Amino acid sequence: METGIAKAAAQPQSQDLKDPAYLKIRDVVYQISGIYQPEEKLYLLASRCARRMSAVKASTPSEYLDYLTVRGNREAELRLLLNEITIGETYMFRSPAQLEALRNVVLPQILQAKSALGFKRLHLWSAGCSTGEEPYTLAMFLLEEKERLLSGWTFDILATDLNDNSVVAAKAGIYGEYALRSTPDVLRRKYFKAHDANHLQVGEELKSLIRFDRVNLNDDSKMTFLKGMDLIFCCNVLIYFDLSSKRKVMQHFYANLLPGGYLFLGHAESLYQVDDRFHLMHFPGAFGYWKPPLGYIGGGKK
Amino acid sequence: MKTLEEILPRIKELDSMPSVPAIVQPLTALLRQNPDRVKLEKVVELVSYDSTIAAQCLRIANSPLFGRRNTETVRSAVIALGITRIEAIVLGSCVNRIVPHDKWAMDALTFWRHCLGCALVSSRLAKLIGYADPEKAYLAGLLHDLGILVNMVICAPEFRVGIQKAHESGIPLHSSEHQHLGFTHCQSGKILAEQWHFSSDVTAVIEHHHDVINATSACPLVAIIHLSDLLCRMRDLGYGYYEAMGVDLAGDAAWALLVESYPALVKMDLARLTMDIDGAMEEITNVVNAVFKPEPAVAR
Ligand SMILES: C[S@@+](CC[C@H](N)C(=O)[O-])C[C@H]1O[C@@H](n2cnc3c(N)ncnc32)[C@H](O)[C@@H]1O
Ligand SMILES: [Fe+2]
Ligand SMILES: [Fe+2]
Repeated sequence: METGIAKAAAQPQSQDLKDPAYLKIRDVVYQISGIYQPEEKLYLLASRCARRMSAVKASTPSEYLDYLTVRGNREAELRLLLNEITIGETYMFRSPAQLEALRNVVLPQILQAKSALGFKRLHLWSAGCSTGEEPYTLAMFLLEEKERLLSGWTFDILATDLNDNSVVAAKAGIYGEYALRSTPDVLRRKYFKAHDANHLQVGEELKSLIRFDRVNLNDDSKMTFLKGMDLIFCCNVLIYFDLSSKRKVMQHFYANLLPGGYLFLGHAESLYQVDDRFHLMHFPGAFGYWKPPLGYIGGGKK
Repeated sequence: MKTLEEILPRIKELDSMPSVPAIVQPLTALLRQNPDRVKLEKVVELVSYDSTIAAQCLRIANSPLFGRRNTETVRSAVIALGITRIEAIVLGSCVNRIVPHDKWAMDALTFWRHCLGCALVSSRLAKLIGYADPEKAYLAGLLHDLGILVNMVICAPEFRVGIQKAHESGIPLHSSEHQHLGFTHCQSGKILAEQWHFSSDVTAVIEHHHDVINATSACPLVAIIHLSDLLCRMRDLGYGYYEAMGVDLAGDAAWALLVESYPALVKMDLARLTMDIDGAMEEITNVVNAVFKPEPAVAR
């Protein structure tokens, strides 16, 4: 969400920024999405609004506020605005240490526990998947382990985002060098096909593992139904949420995970004071948040 | 496989090795005293006694890290660095010299990055929870793996195998030592620590940093170093190989032990502490390079 700001339409006038309507727009966005723009970051929001304002030909922020709150198609407009706001920075194989932890520690542990119960299926969820780089990375990772760790197992990935445009792009799965910069050649050859001179497109094998959907993490009614996950990845999504909306999402994640499952966040995110039911687990170069199985007696955790 | 009885005489021999600087013993004696009572002049005198170490102090003091460029005397180097820190670092570089070049079974810089990392994290953690003597935690962190050096010197072939197997299987080094040497660096380190009259708390750390529940003295210090050691190993400040494990620090026995005396621990943002380590990585590498990187002899 940090990128693209400069690109986004004309900068609003600085006196314009003081318009109290922006605060109200901020609150509307927050209500719906959990994304909170503090006062000093309001200029970001304003620059994202600018594009929508010119599209609907609203001349002032307060006029635009009407489009979001009282006009007939206000929900559609809000969605369009959210599409402007939630442009995410991402690329494939963004967190190699996370994948190593999966391969060496997390998966062996989960597979052992599940197979003891007679289960041979894994459910992963990339929550806030942006344009799809993260779930496709996970899909490649799983397929690469198919003959080894995961032999005899089946798996699927749910990939969701709030941004309609991102979900559409994710489904198409067309990527340039930027997204692919950390993807090894062998994997490019194995899982992609040429799209045009500068782009590759993911092949069916990857696509067939993933179900894409638009899910707002702040939407309780949808979140309640995404149960039974072994692994949830919510990387670099909650950084713009305030504490109370983070807490709400975490409660859902906790409920959505199976006992023994793990939640992964971005490498600079901390769940400190957000949810202390999760156990912070250190892996080489990465963290994971663990939902202990029922009856687990941890040493010191009070 | 060896027994401790077998290795005992060989650890004794370490003392008479020409490479062991004569200032180790007086320096540790100094470190056992209350820091306020340690005289600047005494440290300067000891450091000046060994020209290699004196040169090392100047190198550290003159490194951009400390913002000093033209430190020419040992005295000003000691002042620039601060007495306690310089003692610890000097001691580290003394200890370093028990290992002849051809005996290093792991990369020396990797080893010292681990030790210095552990020192920094330990003192940081000590401060955060209100432990009374963070400098002691620094020293203990720096020296906790003394036994690894001992093992490299006295049973080089077995230790090489131990390290090799740890690399291959991703198990902790002390477990691998246990399998391939018959004892761990905790046990051998303790023997040398006693021989060198290290303070009893630092010795307890050396002996019990991998089995905190068996420590009978200095338990909070042992627990602090134990947790810091784990943290470093999870943050690219380990022994140079991938340790395939997940660490639940707050579920660790050492954590439970510490929480009893230092309730502030519960309120700590552990993930943040860990990210701070990443931030300190450059400093750690710089100090380690300044102190431990072999360099052509420095002019006296
Ligand atoms: C920086 S991207 C992260 C992409 C990927 N997870 C990664 O780490 O590379 C953040 C994504 O979070 C999404 N997001 C923000 N708020 C959301 C919400 N309330 N519900 C669902 N997704 C949201 C944005 O649309 C954006 O695509
Ligand atoms: Fe150790
Ligand atoms: Fe260690």
